[in-house]
Amino acid sequence: MMRLFAASILLALAALAAQAQQPGAQAQQQAGGAQQQPGVAAHIGKGSQLIHDQMYEAAAKEFEQALALEPNNAQAHFEYGVCLLALGRNDDARPQFEQVEKLKGPSRYVTYYLGRLDLLANDYPSAIKRLSAVAANPPIPDTAFYLGAAYVSSGDTEKGITWLEKAAKLMPTDYRVHYRLARAYSTAGRQQDATHEYALYNQYLSQHKSTETEARACSEALRTQSADAARAACQHMYDPNDPERLTLLGQLYGEAGAFQQALDPLNRAVQLDPGSYEAWHDLGLTYFRLERYADARGPLLKAAAMRPEAYGTVVMLGATLYMLGDDAAALPVLEHAHQLNPGDEQTAAILDKLKAEQPKK
Amino acid sequence: MNRREFLAALAAGAMSAGVSPAQQLGGMATRGIKPQPRGKPSGLPFHAKFTDVAAKAGLTAPVIYGPPDRMDYILESMGCGVAFLDYDNDGWLDIFLLSGTRREGPVAGATNRLYKNNRDGTFTDVTAKAGLVRQGWAFGVTVGDYNNDGFDDIFVSAWPQNYLYRNNGNGTFTDVTEAAGLIHPGNRWGTGCTWVDYDRDGRLDLFVAHYVVFDFDKIPITGKDPACNYKGVPVNCGPRGLTPERPALYHNNGDGTFTDVTAHSRVGSAQPTYGLTAVAADLDGDGWQEIYMACDSTPSLLFKNSGDGTFDEVGLESGLAVNEDGREQAGMGIAIGDFDTDGQLDVLKTHFAEDTAALYHNTGHLEFEDVTLRAGLGVEPRYVSWGDGIVDLDNDGLPDIFWVTGSTFPEVERVHHEFPHKGPRILFRNLGGGKFEELLDGAGPAINEIHASRGVAFGDFDNDGDIDILIMNINEPPSLLRNDSKGGGHWLKVKLVGTHSNRSAIGAVVTVTYAGRKQAQAVMAASSYLSVSDRRLHFGLGAAAIADVEIMWPSGARETLKGLHSDQLITVKEGAGVVSQERIGQ
Repeated sequence: MMRLFAASILLALAALAAQAQQPGAQAQQQAGGAQQQPGVAAHIGKGSQLIHDQMYEAAAKEFEQALALEPNNAQAHFEYGVCLLALGRNDDARPQFEQVEKLKGPSRYVTYYLGRLDLLANDYPSAIKRLSAVAANPPIPDTAFYLGAAYVSSGDTEKGITWLEKAAKLMPTDYRVHYRLARAYSTAGRQQDATHEYALYNQYLSQHKSTETEARACSEALRTQSADAARAACQHMYDPNDPERLTLLGQLYGEAGAFQQALDPLNRAVQLDPGSYEAWHDLGLTYFRLERYADARGPLLKAAAMRPEAYGTVVMLGATLYMLGDDAAALPVLEHAHQLNPGDEQTAAILDKLKAEQPKK
Repeated sequence: MNRREFLAALAAGAMSAGVSPAQQLGGMATRGIKPQPRGKPSGLPFHAKFTDVAAKAGLTAPVIYGPPDRMDYILESMGCGVAFLDYDNDGWLDIFLLSGTRREGPVAGATNRLYKNNRDGTFTDVTAKAGLVRQGWAFGVTVGDYNNDGFDDIFVSAWPQNYLYRNNGNGTFTDVTEAAGLIHPGNRWGTGCTWVDYDRDGRLDLFVAHYVVFDFDKIPITGKDPACNYKGVPVNCGPRGLTPERPALYHNNGDGTFTDVTAHSRVGSAQPTYGLTAVAADLDGDGWQEIYMACDSTPSLLFKNSGDGTFDEVGLESGLAVNEDGREQAGMGIAIGDFDTDGQLDVLKTHFAEDTAALYHNTGHLEFEDVTLRAGLGVEPRYVSWGDGIVDLDNDGLPDIFWVTGSTFPEVERVHHEFPHKGPRILFRNLGGGKFEELLDGAGPAINEIHASRGVAFGDFDNDGDIDILIMNINEPPSLLRNDSKGGGHWLKVKLVGTHSNRSAIGAVVTVTYAGRKQAQAVMAASSYLSVSDRRLHFGLGAAAIADVEIMWPSGARETLKGLHSDQLITVKEGAGVVSQERIGQ
């Protein structure tokens, strides 16, 4: 039974991607309600997963169902707002964030998103007011970028430059920041500074494109050749100082089933960026697929702590603990996974089994 | 998409669909943009109604372009331009239609075609009589009087060799490509082309954009290279992955010949790109024409005219190279016009599907601001978009926006219905205040008819005082959208004849002041997508019956005309003022 369960989990997990950290992930915890009805949690969990998979239309439907069950669920309003923003339904997104504010009071995350919506609506004074309010302790690293853009669009180029310069320090490899900063310098008549920023823009855009090209080549090599043969194409992506490239490389190996090859870049990635949910999740997933459950436990615990609503991580952690024989630890984790996705019959079955066994002990 | 989003998308998409987003993008630059929500309809009537009268007008021959049901090579997918011109100087617009062919062999009847305007709503095919029968892969056209003899000549960009027709003034043309020194070594894919008097010597020079290095035998056919797919469907390869090209500039020597000045002018110093439509206009008002080239999946190029025979490429600095996040777009067509009637020439550039067109507001000093979303154009990212115009279609004094659509990957709609091969015409009416509203209906039956369209030309072919539209449709006859405007808005047409300037006055900027508005238009030799529009500038005036006109001639001379009555065509000769006034459209 244990093996059967593990196999089913493996199959289920095969459909899950190495997950990306969503901008609102941390905010979910801030904005979320304390107690949720089980159905609500399931819809929110599924919706979050769909947002992550960039299936925003389907995600919106999940949040709509969650809100139909519990109209005052702040987390659902928040996630729904993020989803609508991604769909470009800006006018519909705004009331969702406003509702979160009504329910939970001020939140840096809500203020950030309302500021971005103001910017998209060309309401620069309001965008500046909101984004300025959270810029000192930014909820998302790109807050300074949007604040700078708002100032530039409002005609206050000097303040725009100030914030874009801060954004460039926070996101030094983001070509978008350098492009906007270059344009602002140019408007301000600072041609020398503009030239410098255009050079940085070109440099980082070029790097970004290289990553895209190399990822395509690696993916294609892994699709058509053995993992060993593909290594030559994929190792171009191995930059020992770039956690994002390393994570991507690990994901590409993992997607091709080359889990052994994925370990090195992912271990390096978590060393470089211990705050990266996706790197920890991918590392845990890789150990899990190699059946190295003891090694998988630590990374998955870290990932699940970062995103407790991520069903894929939680269920894999539960399965890992179960495989290690730590039933006491597995039970609450699997219960949480089941709450996030009540439709997973295998989890439900093993939960029943675990619960039945508990009194005997 | 930033880097983190790309990483996430690549990983997530690869697992969920078996096709990576990188592959899904195919060879084109697109941003995966979703439509902005549509606002509440204004409910205002739109007085222009369009009906396709091509068949009735005699434009029945299909424009052959590659196989009828597929596009195996990128060369077969890009289509070609169209032109409104008055080749016989009778005051009525004639039509020149480019054509392609098929790789398998010549197709009976496939040729570029010249249609003479019969002045009764119909046209007569005079191709053979004019000596213009030619079958091949034609792409762009530019019309102008390069030898200043009073008759418009025609240059056609093509693969593998461009060609120049001199108008003999008697209804016939002569191919003078070789005599003019315009034969280039090797095979090249000429696309955008425009006459431009870049050195203000009164003679039209020639700019030619090039797309990719193309060879049927060296580029895989659809389905042979798995990397060439869109949304997981095998499609033709390119432009990404193919070798980009540089444009060329030819100086008019004044004796019927041209000299390649690409290197000397520094036009050849820009990075190679996938160049498509090229337009020439004085965008900064300094009296010297810039050249703007829409580039597919590479940054678009803006060549600033230094006034000494050289250009500096300032696309990035101007804001016209990339989108506001610094990413290149799949630039196809270019329109130049003054959408906010502030007296400055603005720019509209069309792109691939899942991206918006880009509307750039001219803020002066060759700086442009992307106002696409602010203007309301973000509602329409669904189609691959091509020939476009900023033109006042309903004569209300506010220039509207129009473009045509059609996919380059006909195979995709069989799997993804949301990416149709044939698309509708897109019309945004100008609401004033820098805002536009897409008219999904209410502008006549022709707007919603679907075709795989490419080039578009704007002009008043029936001389009734409103702008009609000529459209190239791949492997179908063209569309001729007759505008029946009933709103009673006034208008003024301005035709210029250069003396010190080139005779076609290409490069002039005319600014008309009416009812508190100041609208600029440029006399251009090419725009839209590889096409040529009526060189008589048409200004809708709304309720204004009187307008003032200021002309900045290509020579640098300025001329002001006060208190002109509306609803007439005025012809202005450089240095001589108004030489004729015609009450057409009555």
